[in-house]
Amino acid sequence: MHGLPREVRSWIFNFFYNEHAVAYLKIDAQLCIAAKGGNVKHYGLSSLRTGKPVADQLDFMEGLLPCPELPYHMAMVELPSGRVADLHLFAADNACVWLLFLDATAERDNRQRLQQKAYEMTLLQERERQLNEKLQSTNEALRESQEGLSREYQRAETLLLNILPASIAQRLKAQEQIADNHAEVSVLFADIVGFTERALSVGAVTTLAILNYFFKAADLLSEEYGCEKIKTIGDCVMVVAGLPVARSDHAEALAHYALELREVGRRERFAGEPLRLRIGIHSGPIVAGVIGNRRFAYDLWGDTVNLAARIQKSAEPDEIRISDATHKLLGPNFARDPLGETELRGTGRVRMWRLRA
Amino acid sequence: MLQKKICMLGGFAVGKTSLVRRFVQSIFSETYLTTVGVKIDKKSVAFPDKTVDLILWDLAGEDDIGSFRVSYVRGATGLVLVVDGTRPATLAVALTLRERVEAEFGAMPFVLLFNKSDLADRWAIPDGEIDELRQLGWQIYLTSALSGAYVEDAFRQLASMVAK
Repeated sequence: MHGLPREVRSWIFNFFYNEHAVAYLKIDAQLCIAAKGGNVKHYGLSSLRTGKPVADQLDFMEGLLPCPELPYHMAMVELPSGRVADLHLFAADNACVWLLFLDATAERDNRQRLQQKAYEMTLLQERERQLNEKLQSTNEALRESQEGLSREYQRAETLLLNILPASIAQRLKAQEQIADNHAEVSVLFADIVGFTERALSVGAVTTLAILNYFFKAADLLSEEYGCEKIKTIGDCVMVVAGLPVARSDHAEALAHYALELREVGRRERFAGEPLRLRIGIHSGPIVAGVIGNRRFAYDLWGDTVNLAARIQKSAEPDEIRISDATHKLLGPNFARDPLGETELRGTGRVRMWRLRA
Repeated sequence: MLQKKICMLGGFAVGKTSLVRRFVQSIFSETYLTTVGVKIDKKSVAFPDKTVDLILWDLAGEDDIGSFRVSYVRGATGLVLVVDGTRPATLAVALTLRERVEAEFGAMPFVLLFNKSDLADRWAIPDGEIDELRQLGWQIYLTSALSGAYVEDAFRQLASMVAK
């Protein structure tokens, strides 16, 4: 045997035989146990009966025989006794097979310890990854709702800016009470000549179209000339120049505005008719502020406002009528005709001018 | 005597050993103990006309599918494929193991178990995916070795399939 000296061979054999608790069965062609030997007691197999079917006595042999691929090896099979064996099937004479048991209990236990650690580690890592993914998707959802919130906020902000000048909106958000004196501003009123009568004859849809056209134009021109549209009252619009930031040319800015607004009205036709406006301007000190705290309204108060409204009411169709105070603030670029002194209700005699195109 | 070899197949830590223990001994342990090699158990399933002895081969669930030894399955007449419902990747493992076994020994009856159904808040397999597999005519059970839910049903179903 491999040319080893007899003592060495013998020593190896004894060592292996004892270390691995070698036991064997011989199984015949009828799949019955023909012989047994070696350390069968080690595996708790002493009671196996020869001449009886092997599969009835050893559960794990069920279905294995006849085995077309010999030798056949199964590692680390735990037997009912608790011992773990490497099983080897190999051919014997007369269509019999040998079934060899080699103890692998210690090896199995060692490997189990290592594998236990490794799998537990892997499971922990998998769990950690799952939790991280969950965390990430939660964060994602949080980010999305924050973005939604910030979109809502911006919408509210935009809405607020649509009804209030930006600087006023800013101060309002800081919970400030707003009531400002402005020494030098110009105030304009404009309305549509014969609006009430026309509204009756053209119907609701056209009426709405007229107002929409007029007020949109008033908004656009406000941006263009740096004025503030304060409010609309029926078919009347109120515009101011010189606030919230003071400007020395407030009268001229509003004069430009008035001329342009009148042109805009002339350009469009509704039911075949142009929009004819009546416009009045006056300049002087006012108080500006916000009233209400649920539905905000930025408004102007004072005699200047009242007089501007009266002047507008007294204007002829297509006329831009300005007070003497506004007249004195306008440069030579603006042609105007004197209207002389006129009696205005509640104010007495007032000197006024007509702004020419 | 009707005796049938059944193999438990699936990734590691999906609950193969726990399912066998629940079915054979009606017990469950929270402690995870990995299987090395194979452990064999036996349980009789009685039907009105016959009794089937299931020889259950609880095979080690490998970390690496490549190292799975198909030879253990020789002589088996049925498979219990086990998936961990909280770890989606273990479905692919179970299906791959089945393919490898069938390539070696031909098609055989099987039941597919989505185990750990008690861990509802960590469940990670969409119902739609399970329904799609059911459409293939597969016998599928959402089991819990912890509570015992559907464990008996699954093994009985397989026993009736292999006893035919």
